[in-house]
Amino acid sequence: MARRLLGVVLAGLVLAGLVPTGPALASSRTAAAGPRRIVSLNLCADELLVRLADREQIASVTWLARDPRASTVAAAAADLPVNHGMTEEIAAARPDLVLVGRHTTRTPVALLRRLGITVVELDLPRSLDDVRAQIRAVAAAVGHPARGEAAVAALDRHLAAVAAPAPAPDPGPVPGARALVLRPAGYTVGPGSLVDTILERAGLRNVAAELGIDGYGQVPLETVVMAGAEVLVVDGEAESPSLATEILGHPVIGRLAGRVRLVPVPVRLWACGGPQVADAVRILAAAARQDSAP
Amino acid sequence: MSGRGRHGLLATALGALALLCAAASTMVGYAPLDVAAAAGDLLSGRDTLGALVLLELRVPRALLGLLVGFSLGIAGAAMQGLLRNPLAEPGIVGVSGAAALGAVLVFYFGAAGAFSLALPLGGIAGAAAAAGALLALARGNTGTTALILAGVAVNSLAGALTSLALNLSPSPYAALEIVFWLMGSLADRSLAHVGLVIAPMAAGWLLLLRAAPALDALTLGEDVAASLGFDLRRLRAGLIAGTALAVGSAVSVSGAVGFVGLVVPHLLRPLVGQKPGQLLLVSGLGGAVLTLVADTGLRLLPVRPELKLGVVTAILGAPFLLHLLLRTRNPNP
Repeated sequence: MARRLLGVVLAGLVLAGLVPTGPALASSRTAAAGPRRIVSLNLCADELLVRLADREQIASVTWLARDPRASTVAAAAADLPVNHGMTEEIAAARPDLVLVGRHTTRTPVALLRRLGITVVELDLPRSLDDVRAQIRAVAAAVGHPARGEAAVAALDRHLAAVAAPAPAPDPGPVPGARALVLRPAGYTVGPGSLVDTILERAGLRNVAAELGIDGYGQVPLETVVMAGAEVLVVDGEAESPSLATEILGHPVIGRLAGRVRLVPVPVRLWACGGPQVADAVRILAAAARQDSAP
Repeated sequence: MSGRGRHGLLATALGALALLCAAASTMVGYAPLDVAAAAGDLLSGRDTLGALVLLELRVPRALLGLLVGFSLGIAGAAMQGLLRNPLAEPGIVGVSGAAALGAVLVFYFGAAGAFSLALPLGGIAGAAAAAGALLALARGNTGTTALILAGVAVNSLAGALTSLALNLSPSPYAALEIVFWLMGSLADRSLAHVGLVIAPMAAGWLLLLRAAPALDALTLGEDVAASLGFDLRRLRAGLIAGTALAVGSAVSVSGAVGFVGLVVPHLLRPLVGQKPGQLLLVSGLGGAVLTLVADTGLRLLPVRPELKLGVVTAILGAPFLLHLLLRTRNPNP
């Protein structure tokens, strides 16, 4: 029995070793021009990297990329090496390109720059144009500009498919339904953010602007109730218990359900700039139409 | 006027003041709300947004201020009476910190989802362990230094384990929420939280109030109290259980709010003729007043997001602690 098991395992190892050699060789030839050992230190960069680079080019992504709640590339990242943003891990990978977020892992970034390693910083995208520019920038950095153009074209195609039916029935600038985003710990999102752009694109009016929220900000539940939103955009998925997520389950939110439509949007769809933002627009546009229908 | 009559008058006045503060607490908030109209809507069953805010957000906040403040005040008075030490207070000696640890373990690792009473039970278990450990450490040596050192040990251990538990918890938000558990807050709590803690708290209060005559006798010394027929072992067990029920429940829904149990008994002690038994009820009521005033005041301050409740009580209470420390060091200044 044990011997047979060993045989199966050995056969599996041989197969696993044999099968990828063909394609790996082929793709490493196509990627010859671009960097060969890319490390990403930011979830948003992970997602773009996995979508735009060859797998052989990726030395590691963050551990968050494997979390199906946070990441849109969890399945693809499942067998990629991961890092935790620690300087030692990054140095050990001997990267030739490091992708970072503008506001995260500042200590390793300073060190990497001193070591002469190319570091590409991704800013928080604030508009769809920022998203397009970011996709193109990462595609160029990893040596596949054509894939970037294709991804941008796909994003625009999906956005056009969502937006197309909306202007036909109601011509002119009809103000959309009033919407408020309620994230864990009472965070909401105001003007000057990608989320605000997505709400607008979906035909919703962001109430956070009236509350004086610029970018991200916390609002008390009282304000949420009295803000007069018709659509309350909440986190899409149940998380492990915390005070932050308990807010979303407060009885007052449940009792609002009669007069406010709760629209769940998984946060991974609009936390980062990428082709997935078209899905967020689609979900919200459907909610906006449903709201103006009766 | 007799001592008992004066005590009754003081308790009535403080009770009325506490109710007044609770009413004032419902008038203060973030949304423009006509409280009278909202109350009218509520009473006549009209389901308006104002009625919703009043019933689901402002009333639970005021009620919790009342309940948590009463629990902290009465527990402070009881511990000071039992240990015959003016510095014994749930926050300083680590009972609140241990209660927070118990609540954190239950809340973040899913037991509170299994049955809702698990949350206060976690807090109560933590508080009971700390109070028991403290009494064991302080037995035979009720000097201020020994007690405070024991409290520092219990407090820092509980704080360290709370950080550890929050770091290990599966929720990505947990580590940020340590501020709530260490400093306390009544923001965005619900009627469900009130329902969860009101019964165990009331049981704790009853246990503490029942010990009043024995606490009065204890001022004459343990031997005299025993000779007067008070069973000291039962007294200690009752006070620990009562403190654990009251403080453990309070901390499990509000986090650890410090100094209430220190300041209030200290201010009221001269008014009840230094009788620790009579101090219990009035300290509870005074604790409710102080907590409600602090919680209402922090919403009036132009600081957003609002300050944590424990920050405000610490700013009010820390000078008291320093004053008491100086006085116990220098008995005859």
